[in-house]
Amino acid sequence: MAPKKAASKTLNLAPVLDLNEASALHSKLTEMRGSNIVIDASAVERVGALCVQVLMAGAKSWEQDKHAFTISKVSDAFTKTTQLIGVNVDHLMAKEI
Amino acid sequence: MDMNEIKEIFFQECEEQLAELESGLLRLNDGDRDPETVNAVFRAVHSIKGGAGAFGLDDLVSFAHVFETTLDCVRSNKLEPTQEVLKVMLKSADVLADLTNCARDGGSVDEARSKQLIRELEALAHGTPLPGASEAPAAKPAPAKAAPAKPAAPAPVAAAPNDQGFVPVAFSFDDFGDEAEAEPAPMPTFEISFKPNADLYRKGNEATLLLRDLSRLGEMSILCDMDSLPPLEAMNPEDAYFFWKISLRTDKGEDAIRSVFEFAEWDCELEVAELAEGEQSVAVDGEAPMQAVPFDLSILDDEQEHPLGVVEEEEQIAAGEREAAANALETASNVLNLASAAAKAAEAKQAPASAANAASAQQAAAAGQTIRVDLDRVDRLINLVGELVINQAMLSQSVIENDTNGTSSINMGLEELQQLTREIQDSVMAIRAQPVKPVFQRMARTVREIADITGKSVRLITEGENTEVDKTVIDKLAEPLTHMIRNAVDHGLEMPEKRVALGKNPEGTVRLTAKHRSGRIIIELADDGAGINRERVRQKAIDNDLIAADANLSDEEIDNLIFHAGFSTAEKVSDLSGRGVGMDVVKRSIQALGGRINISSKPGQGSVFTMSLPLTLAVLDGMVVTVASQTLVVPLTAIVETLQPDAASIHSFGATQRLISIRNSFCPLVDVGRILNFRATQANPVEGVALLVESEGGGQRALMVDAIQGQRQVVIKSLEANYTHVPGIAAATILGDGRVALILDVDAVVAASRGQPLKLESALAAVG
Repeated sequence: MAPKKAASKTLNLAPVLDLNEASALHSKLTEMRGSNIVIDASAVERVGALCVQVLMAGAKSWEQDKHAFTISKVSDAFTKTTQLIGVNVDHLMAKEI
Repeated sequence: MDMNEIKEIFFQECEEQLAELESGLLRLNDGDRDPETVNAVFRAVHSIKGGAGAFGLDDLVSFAHVFETTLDCVRSNKLEPTQEVLKVMLKSADVLADLTNCARDGGSVDEARSKQLIRELEALAHGTPLPGASEAPAAKPAPAKAAPAKPAAPAPVAAAPNDQGFVPVAFSFDDFGDEAEAEPAPMPTFEISFKPNADLYRKGNEATLLLRDLSRLGEMSILCDMDSLPPLEAMNPEDAYFFWKISLRTDKGEDAIRSVFEFAEWDCELEVAELAEGEQSVAVDGEAPMQAVPFDLSILDDEQEHPLGVVEEEEQIAAGEREAAANALETASNVLNLASAAAKAAEAKQAPASAANAASAQQAAAAGQTIRVDLDRVDRLINLVGELVINQAMLSQSVIENDTNGTSSINMGLEELQQLTREIQDSVMAIRAQPVKPVFQRMARTVREIADITGKSVRLITEGENTEVDKTVIDKLAEPLTHMIRNAVDHGLEMPEKRVALGKNPEGTVRLTAKHRSGRIIIELADDGAGINRERVRQKAIDNDLIAADANLSDEEIDNLIFHAGFSTAEKVSDLSGRGVGMDVVKRSIQALGGRINISSKPGQGSVFTMSLPLTLAVLDGMVVTVASQTLVVPLTAIVETLQPDAASIHSFGATQRLISIRNSFCPLVDVGRILNFRATQANPVEGVALLVESEGGGQRALMVDAIQGQRQVVIKSLEANYTHVPGIAAATILGDGRVALILDVDAVVAASRGQPLKLESALAAVG
């Protein structure tokens, strides 16, 4: 694994990740395949189950690709929603402070 | 939905909660010891507090909090709900109502009173003697932890993780056994399996919202099954791959859980099972343990305003049910969390309360079979149905006029139409009909307050609270009724010592009864006081120049004198009644409703006021008559019989009066055309028809009209609203031929015909 920072791309998540955003998020992630990725979820105000599915599928694919899939910053709404629906994202969180 | 609308709904709910609170307390007062009653009372206060917190209504919150703490002591059997305790609580309910009204309409509350009650409530909660009370209430000393702002028992709610720093409220659960304080009885745990289909998302439902609502029912742990989630390239981003296994500890029951999924149940697989006591939720082999769901999810609440994905996908959404779901969510059920989202300001610490509240409100909305409809809409419907009835009558009439050979099929069709319109009308009227209960409940408070001020001991007994009557009638009933109750307690009932001396129960009784009788509602207010002092009333009437000093009046007529303007026999003008705007105002408001009021009084035994009111102000069964070539409608309820007078039965009496002899008794004959000034001289009675009517005083009069056209139901159109008040006329209507007919105010006509001994102007003014 050993991700190199220089090779990382950053994906800033939109504030509203509702049902309609799932496809768009899916395409964006698909385009970014092949390198390490840092997800910035700090602007997220609402996130629906479909978008969380896409993100988790992304994490799966990145793992298969042996690239790093990191969530750098999260908003309170993002954290609360993932906790609510029982999706644990702790292992994806950026470890460095 | 803006803040004001949300607030308005909150206040409407408050009203319902306050009514619930009061009726619960009254039931307790009557000796009801059902724990569910105590719970209902507690819930009502708790809900008000929760909502008030969301709106930052601090006065209301702090009072409700103290109240709730004391109620909690009753709930957990630490405080015996004795009469004395309930007296304080009933007063507290009044103050809570005042505070709510203040918060809505502005104004101020009697702060001294609310502070005093806070002290009394706290004293009850602590088991110390009531401030100012002579002896201590039968309260077992409550442990210090029941004090305000401290949890009464280690409730699971308080143990839930929260990072908002909220102060847990005293909250114990009903199923507590005797050793309640030591350990709460286990709440049922449900295991829920929730597998959404892709359709669930396609129809605009959002699993996160469903789970959020579910989490509000209790303590929830969740496990997300992601096993079927494929890698990115293989997935359809709009398909459903997440399944959930949920363990929920809640006392709300399976129905509440299922109602969360009410609008999604066809698009998911849902299994709900209650675990037996002590059974742990089974973890599927090798699976991660369930994750506890954070208690405070208020941050997710603003999603409510734009349900995920709904706006853009609206066209695709399967119309009705979805819409209904969204509406229901936006209005009734989630008012409080909407509010908390909108008023994000400073309520972090109240948020848990409001969230819990929202959950129960939502539950109630899902379970209830009622809808809240704007009154204007109902009125518009009623108006339209009224027009329909008129139109149908006009159609029938023109068919009859043009149909010389009487085609039976048309006539039959018309008859059916008539029946249908009548049925529609009745059903529409039923929408507006409401039980008189809320008004009666308000009277309970009036009685308490006056009893307090006057130092009398009064018991209010209400009967027939569920009698239904039109909402307009109910709304207008409160004021006159309050006035009469005040009078009954202040003037009618004697002081306790005097009652004892008279051999009566020191506690006076005021009985308020409602019942239906021949298409009208009869409301009776009876007291067991001193009755009317006829000598004083008579003297007063002479002093006030209402009657001549030598007038010969029946007891009944003397009693009815108290309905005259400016008439008050109270020796000193008290704060309560006797301000000179007494019973005449009452009578006027009752008459404005198309009602009659009557008094019968027995010296030493009390008085009975009887009000007879129409069930609706929209239609009326009337007799259509002709008077001096005008068409008039006489309300059928007033008519006793009709007769064709012959010359022999007519007798002259004095200069202008005439009497008709009916079955060996004489009855004054009143020429309606003359009274209403339709003609200058009296008509010949033999050429007309006499309608025998019963007037408010019980006396009979024969109203002379020229001819009877028929009998029909007419739609009442207010003259006051469309034109101006006309003495002697109650309202107007539109007949089948499109002409306007006036509806006769029988009592006013009879009163006007009396002339003496009452003055014509004052008699007419009284009905104005």
